[in-house]
Amino acid sequence: MGEKAVEVVELRKDYGKRAALRGISFNVRKGEVFGVIGPNGAGKSTTLKILATLLKPTSGEARVFGMDVVDNASRVRRVISYLPEEAGAYKNLKGIEYLRFMAKLYAGDDEKAEDMVKRGIEISGLGERLNDKVATYSKGMTRKLLLARALMVMPKLAILDEPASGLDVVNAYEIRKIIKDFSRKGVTFIVSSHNMLEVEFLCDRVVLMNAGSIVDSGTPHDLMAKYEADNLEEVFMRATCAGTDADTMQMRLSGCEHEEL
Amino acid sequence: MRSFRVLATKELMNLLRDRKLVFGLVVIPLVLFPLLGQFTSMGLSSAQGVTKVAVVNMDSGSYGGLLVKTLNASPNVSLTLISAGSVEKAIEKARDMGQNVLVVIPPDFSKRLSSSETASVQVYGIFTRVGAGMKESVSEGRINSVIQLLNREIAMIKLKELGINNPKALVEPVNATSYSVVKGRIVKVPPSAVAAALSSQAFSVPLIIFIMITLTAQMAAGSMAAEKENKTLETLLTLPVSRTTIVASKVFGTAVMGLIAALAYMIGMKYYMGALSMKTNVSLSSIGLGISPAGMVLLAIVIFLAVVFSLSLAMLIAVFAEDVQTASTLVSAVVLPLAFPSFILMYTSIYSLPACIRWLLLAIPFTHPIVDYRKLLMGNYSFVILSVLYLTLIALVTLYVTARVFSTERVLTAQINWGRKRWDD
Repeated sequence: MGEKAVEVVELRKDYGKRAALRGISFNVRKGEVFGVIGPNGAGKSTTLKILATLLKPTSGEARVFGMDVVDNASRVRRVISYLPEEAGAYKNLKGIEYLRFMAKLYAGDDEKAEDMVKRGIEISGLGERLNDKVATYSKGMTRKLLLARALMVMPKLAILDEPASGLDVVNAYEIRKIIKDFSRKGVTFIVSSHNMLEVEFLCDRVVLMNAGSIVDSGTPHDLMAKYEADNLEEVFMRATCAGTDADTMQMRLSGCEHEEL
Repeated sequence: MRSFRVLATKELMNLLRDRKLVFGLVVIPLVLFPLLGQFTSMGLSSAQGVTKVAVVNMDSGSYGGLLVKTLNASPNVSLTLISAGSVEKAIEKARDMGQNVLVVIPPDFSKRLSSSETASVQVYGIFTRVGAGMKESVSEGRINSVIQLLNREIAMIKLKELGINNPKALVEPVNATSYSVVKGRIVKVPPSAVAAALSSQAFSVPLIIFIMITLTAQMAAGSMAAEKENKTLETLLTLPVSRTTIVASKVFGTAVMGLIAALAYMIGMKYYMGALSMKTNVSLSSIGLGISPAGMVLLAIVIFLAVVFSLSLAMLIAVFAEDVQTASTLVSAVVLPLAFPSFILMYTSIYSLPACIRWLLLAIPFTHPIVDYRKLLMGNYSFVILSVLYLTLIALVTLYVTARVFSTERVLTAQINWGRKRWDD
């Protein structure tokens, strides 16, 4: 558990004049499920996109299994699998064709690709519906297909942005169960969510983000004990209101107002 | 290579399964063009059909009768003799009878001709409904031909009466036999026939190239923008595949689809042209203007390179578009102004243009397939090889620039959306 899967050091990202990340640092250990939590606009997706080699940081460093995400982007892409928050699949392909297409890009030969597809079929739980075009899928079915795509390749690091976003209770539960199962199989996860109860159930450790900064980090249990809270939602509200960082003053203020409501 | 093959196959499969795209690019040209040709052909056949001619012969002499006889013997003319006291009455009668043309032979027709004066015949085209006027035009042409023939015959009769032994030599003192010189070789075909054979390709080649370029550019832009619109782009960019491979596979997949569409258009156009009877009895190869197999290969390379340039450019533009509709508008705004100037070559040779316009046209890659086709007809390979080199360079540069832009985060953040940049949380 001690080896670092992800190292983020003083990471900063600016979109024009606006700072999306203000120099955040954290580590993810190999094999753990690591949660990045915070409200909309906290910088979760930007952090994950930098780790997925989609965005380049303005300053600071991010490494995945020791490889810099900027200098070794193509090598990083070989060990990660990224599931964006708002993702789709090719509508004119059948579910099974989509899985096969993705598997062939990761596997060196057809045999390995078929093994991946078999795993994908199992993860998706879509059965015969995999023979239908993606265009006919519900949101929950598409999300399961995408999660199956992300995990069937057995990545060293799975980066999942709001994996259960917008899903009903049953689908969200199934997806969380799949993540837990694959964590036990050795896949490291970094998961973002604004659903703090979900993260509490899923994650070994979390960072609390607000307005591009990290407010606090630790295991859900330790954080709840530290803030004398019953759940991570309370932890987040107390952490953001009690902090002293001048940069997050505005968000803390809005958080306290929210709490008063 | 495996990644390229997998991505290109997916691209092609995705395009081929798009029913709207297949319908618009393949089915419509294969069905619509031949149908259009058939309808136009029907219209033309109707115009070329029998001309109904009503004749009022007010002349009692022999020449009036001769004109009626000549008209009656003319092909595609159906003659009806009517009697009327005035021209107005005759027109009314002819119109009621559904005649196309009314010929009025005046009372002094024979008298004037007998006294070696010019006689007049009035020809009225009767328009009963609004149309293209082609039928009336054709009818008038037929009557004029008959009058011309009659003029010649009367002149010969008069000359004979004057004791001239060989009147034809006086009526037609000069007889011209036309030949054409093609690629330095004399061919026994009049220049008008060669021109007719050349004119069919003068219009069709630029048109087909234009359609192919604009269609494939729209497809490429649509394919790229659809990745954004359908939220598949971010996943695609994190796959263990180089960005150049992604761009190249998209270019290849779209180019193949574009070639399928171009083929459908060419077949459709062929039937359209065939139905219009624009074929001439003279084929280009029979007058030494065929393209050799090596020339065909060169032409295919030129077309392929022009398409690659078009596709790369379209993808580069589509990178900045947020959705398929914006991409389509942006691509039209850039590609159409580049493709339109080649239309000038429908009417003239590039060498007839001022030097500055000529070089400007040659700087545009889309001009090359048209110019090179003509060069290959004339057997000028050196120009085409230079053309291939230029197009290779410009296609590679555009492909490289597109792949470079694709490698940056601009592909995710630079979106034309009222000048704002997208904000990720």
